[in-house]
Amino acid sequence: MNDAAPIFRAERVVKRFGGIRAVNGATMDVREGSITALIGPNGAGKTTFFNVITGFYKPDGGSATFDGKPTLGHPPYAIARLGMVRTFQITKALAAMPVIDNMMLAAPDQPGESLFGTIFRQPANRSREREVRNQAGELLEMFNLQALADSYAGTLSGGQRKLLELARALMTKPRFLLLDEPMAGINPTLGRRLLEHMERLRTEDGVTFLFVEHDMDVVMNHSDRVIVMAEGRVIAEGEPHEVRSNQAVIDAYLGAGLPAEANGDG
Amino acid sequence: MIELPVAVTFDFLTAWDFWIAVGILAGIYGIFALGLQLNVGYTGVLNFGQAGFMAIGAYAAIIFVVDLGWSYWLALPASALLTIIVGLLIGLPSLRLRADYFAIATIAFSEIVRDVAQNARDLTGGNQGTINLELENDRFFTDPWFSTSDWIQENLLDPIGLSGQEFGDLPLFLVVWVTLGLLALGLHFLVRSPWGRVLRAVREDEDAARALGKNAFSYKLQSLAVAAVLGAISGWFLAFNLESVSQVAFEPLYTFLGFGALVLGGLASFGGVLVGSVLLWTLLEGFRFLDLPLAADKVSALRFIIVGVILILLMAFRPQGIFGKREEMVLGE
Repeated sequence: MNDAAPIFRAERVVKRFGGIRAVNGATMDVREGSITALIGPNGAGKTTFFNVITGFYKPDGGSATFDGKPTLGHPPYAIARLGMVRTFQITKALAAMPVIDNMMLAAPDQPGESLFGTIFRQPANRSREREVRNQAGELLEMFNLQALADSYAGTLSGGQRKLLELARALMTKPRFLLLDEPMAGINPTLGRRLLEHMERLRTEDGVTFLFVEHDMDVVMNHSDRVIVMAEGRVIAEGEPHEVRSNQAVIDAYLGAGLPAEANGDG
Repeated sequence: MIELPVAVTFDFLTAWDFWIAVGILAGIYGIFALGLQLNVGYTGVLNFGQAGFMAIGAYAAIIFVVDLGWSYWLALPASALLTIIVGLLIGLPSLRLRADYFAIATIAFSEIVRDVAQNARDLTGGNQGTINLELENDRFFTDPWFSTSDWIQENLLDPIGLSGQEFGDLPLFLVVWVTLGLLALGLHFLVRSPWGRVLRAVREDEDAARALGKNAFSYKLQSLAVAAVLGAISGWFLAFNLESVSQVAFEPLYTFLGFGALVLGGLASFGGVLVGSVLLWTLLEGFRFLDLPLAADKVSALRFIIVGVILILLMAFRPQGIFGKREEMVLGE
């Protein structure tokens, strides 16, 4: 794992809002097949960084490559199609669409998604729909959402929406998943299940994860790499135990005994 | 007996030509509102410029036929194509705006179209309308249509005893409603296709769609282009119905009436558009026959008040419209 090549590399990424440099030259590597946690105090620029590297914000500088291909400044849909797919801090379930439609929407390579294809390529369109429906069914079962397939996504609980968003992202067959606070606002049981899913997907499908998380317990016990951001920069990077004892990290973030607390809980 | 101040005659309700005339209007503005439904109900794009697309379709078709002497077979597709191009040109800069600003931009677009129609006299006939062009060229846009209409009357309607005298413009009614039915059916299947699923996702949350690899902007543009074509088609039929058009037929009021039909019928339902349009135009035209002790212009203003009150009551008691789904409305927020 240690000598794994980076699947994603960001160099000196900058994002300004007026005079504020929300992301101020962040540089990082994410190793292929790793579960990497992105931590840092509030306002460190983690979510902004996510938004820049997934195309939702226009960068003001820097570069990024996914799987060797440049991605920085590309539109979100183009980045997602490469296999680098994100979820959102506040879940974006497509509320007035059934759960199954949320899932099927996410599948790539549907010829029926073009106006021409949907009219003139009916057979290809229908056979792909069948395939996608089966995949969606399997994933919903895996996430224990199969009973809700025909419910509107808006009727799901917060935790179920988080699961749906992860399951939906998996429909795109991603190689690199970026999860913005996947554990926030869900009960511990669902949270544990989400972590199990991540670990299984990493082992079985080789999916790489980068996730923003505030719960040190989760970070220390469930990630194999930790990247620490503060004031728009990456101030430390390494294995959890290395980061925990890094003086810069303690000064900037962990400060008043948070690592000890993490020790105590874990 | 108490003498009511309001005398209402209901004779018109039994006159076939009244219903056929209302049906033609309901059909024309039904086609018009199908485009609004696709934009507003399925894509979340607030198109307030549909009257502009209707104007371009109507004017372009008339100019191609009257000035350039083209046949319908060339003029109608060419005017549809032109409307698509205009739709794309309008959408490219303005669909990047937030929904409400896009709505403002589209009203501005339709008013610009109308101002041009009013002032470019050589091109459009100005305020008197396209009748000017037709007289100048001694060529009439509706001539080929009237020969088709006569053919339908003689070969299809007369044999089954539906005479032109009693049933008025029945051929136009039939052609409009067959077109409307086919278009509504086609759209019904289109929005249930994977293409339509992306549209609905864009309506629900553009960013979620983009994060899943969908080019939301392109879908909004496609939705607008399809609506523009529907606007153009409704414009042709309006020209058949009015025989010549002038800019007053494309006031923003007609876009708002289209929204009225949409709200009555319910969002995200093409069948709702048909029913909403019939209801709206029956009310609007039916109230013309109210025999009130008022000047004609006051009666004509009153019918809008009545329709407005009905819409308000509907919003209060059935906000999803007649065919809309309540869940989609509540959850959509």
